[in-house]
Amino acid sequence: MHQEWTDQLSDYLDGELSADERDAVEAHLRTCAPCAAVLDDLKRVVARAATAAARPPDADLWAGIAARIETGGAASPGRVMPFGRREARRFTFTLPQLAAAAALLIAVSGGLAWNAAERIGAADPSVSVAQPPQTPQTADADAASPAAATGAAEFARVENVGMADAQYDAAVADLEKALKDGRGRLDASTIAIVEHNLQIIDQAINQARDALAGDPANSYLSSHLVEARRRKLDLLRRATALATETN
Amino acid sequence: MTLSGETPAGSGLDSDVALAAGGDQSAFERLYRTHVARIHSLTRRMLSTQEADEVTQDIFVRTWQKLGQFRGESAFSTWLHRLAVNVVIERRRSFAIQRDRMSDDPAALDLLTVGPARADLKVDFEQAIDQLPPGAREIFVLHDVEGYKHREIAVMLQIATGTSKRQLHRARMLMRKHLSGD
Repeated sequence: MHQEWTDQLSDYLDGELSADERDAVEAHLRTCAPCAAVLDDLKRVVARAATAAARPPDADLWAGIAARIETGGAASPGRVMPFGRREARRFTFTLPQLAAAAALLIAVSGGLAWNAAERIGAADPSVSVAQPPQTPQTADADAASPAAATGAAEFARVENVGMADAQYDAAVADLEKALKDGRGRLDASTIAIVEHNLQIIDQAINQARDALAGDPANSYLSSHLVEARRRKLDLLRRATALATETN
Repeated sequence: MTLSGETPAGSGLDSDVALAAGGDQSAFERLYRTHVARIHSLTRRMLSTQEADEVTQDIFVRTWQKLGQFRGESAFSTWLHRLAVNVVIERRRSFAIQRDRMSDDPAALDLLTVGPARADLKVDFEQAIDQLPPGAREIFVLHDVEGYKHREIAVMLQIATGTSKRQLHRARMLMRKHLSGD
């Protein structure tokens, strides 16, 4: 084997040599069996690499990706924001806006419930089967409102929805209390919309939890539970802010 | 470069790309499940098994964040793959892995544990990649496994084309030595 020739074999294989260089290599290979054997080996390495199979990870990585997306990796501006960034913002929902958001939440929650129900093999006919649509756009925040800030301060500590159950439940309880206190400042139709959607989201949460009880390692279900919990917090937060703002 | 797995126009995956770009997380999950094996294999081969999971997650989070910039001028799989390569290269740079990647230390030839070829050649092949010196490894993966050209690799890694060629040959000779048991 001659290194001065074998050093050119990769370039030869890849068609990177000039015509003269290629002719010289081929002339040498005709008279040198060891170098020709190296070339054959290199061809096998290249062929093996070109057919190397892709192999998925041993563990499902989606849950981690979903969690990170939820906590700030927005696909489009304003889609997902960390909860803490909203505390000084003033929400300017109108009833039609809230109704539109509610309609989307119904579809999303239905999709979540469908996913969970399908997993446990117990589809609920009362839950609509829909592809989860885009998340409702965050309401514009024009200016900081002391009233909104006061209301938001109670749940500013809700930084993510991957929190422990006790912490999550406490945050929900705080928001529900704030909403109850401000209930008198919302009209009946708004209250009805909010309560109806909370009921649907709760149903999705419960179904996801039930499914997870039977399949605790299922990251797919876990990510949907996290999503449903996030949506409940989001709806409560928005409704509470609306009640506070109309004070 | 042409990659396998590209999606024909109007396919369901194209729809998923559009839906995901609009914020549809379920569509993005479908994209993830379609492409994760290829992306994870890339990260595993260019970095390490230990880093592959974390970096794969980074890549898909980055993809989600940048979907709005995807214009459809190339196949989504090509765009995703290039983004993944960039993330991997950034990772290598940030950890200074490339510090000695262009070393021409001939002793590197002895880094490989040479043994006879076994029946489970796929495992041997992956193990042989794992044992390549960093510089030779990334160029071997990019060129021979992923199909990039030397001029593309030179741009991505900010090296000379000749360096890319030398490192590739070095990697192939090491792979040959390992796989043939010479």
